[in-house]
Amino acid sequence: MNRKYELVFVVSPDATEAQVTELQTQVEGIVQRMGGTIEKTENWGRRKLAYEIGRHKEATYVLDVINGSGELMKEIDRRLKVFDLVIRHLVVRVDENEGVIDRQRTKRTDTARRRRTARGLPPDRQPGEGQRGEPDDDRDDRFDMGLEDVR
Amino acid sequence: MNGGRKPSGGGRGRSATGAAGATGKDGQQRRPMFRRRKVCKFCADKIDDINYKDTKLLMPFVPERAKILPRRISGTCAMHQRKLRTAIMRARQLALIPYTAE
Repeated sequence: MNRKYELVFVVSPDATEAQVTELQTQVEGIVQRMGGTIEKTENWGRRKLAYEIGRHKEATYVLDVINGSGELMKEIDRRLKVFDLVIRHLVVRVDENEGVIDRQRTKRTDTARRRRTARGLPPDRQPGEGQRGEPDDDRDDRFDMGLEDVR
Repeated sequence: MNGGRKPSGGGRGRSATGAAGATGKDGQQRRPMFRRRKVCKFCADKIDDINYKDTKLLMPFVPERAKILPRRISGTCAMHQRKLRTAIMRARQLALIPYTAE
């Protein structure tokens, strides 16, 4: 059962860089032990938090893309809950969604190409062939936002 | 149906030409209101992937109070609003987007 997951964990700003890499190797260790693979890791570095967590105002973010089973992610989830340095984490399954997006994209390009060939144009958009701006786009509607629901 | 209560543009009419009632409740003469037809941003820009990591994309949909902008205002279609919602909720968990304004 091979699935693709994304794991993001938020490490407390008190952690040193070495501790962050140490956490990363721990995750890698679990993944390897449970027969998964890490596809990609990304360190987003220090970012400001949108709201305070505990007393922290910023934190380090690390993203992992992991191929593996559900049990593996369960284990990682459990382990991350234990570490005090990890203040937040999120596991999301992404393979299904990626498939949907891919299909949508191919479908769109296919229909676009079919239509273009039906109109006697080359299937792909030519350079310099831009979209015309909408003619009535300059109407003043700055104050219209949501007005239809004011009562 | 409308009972003449609302001066103009009642209901959810999405007509591009705006409401017909040119006279306001207060009897003032108003130019007919034009409303641009709202279009789902994600359909128009052909954005398939609404990702929780993409805060730049999500931020316009969480205005100052940090509440999710309703569909009736943003014009987002139902499918994309649903995806947007999950993305925003995930981003909130990771403190990429606020739950509330302080």
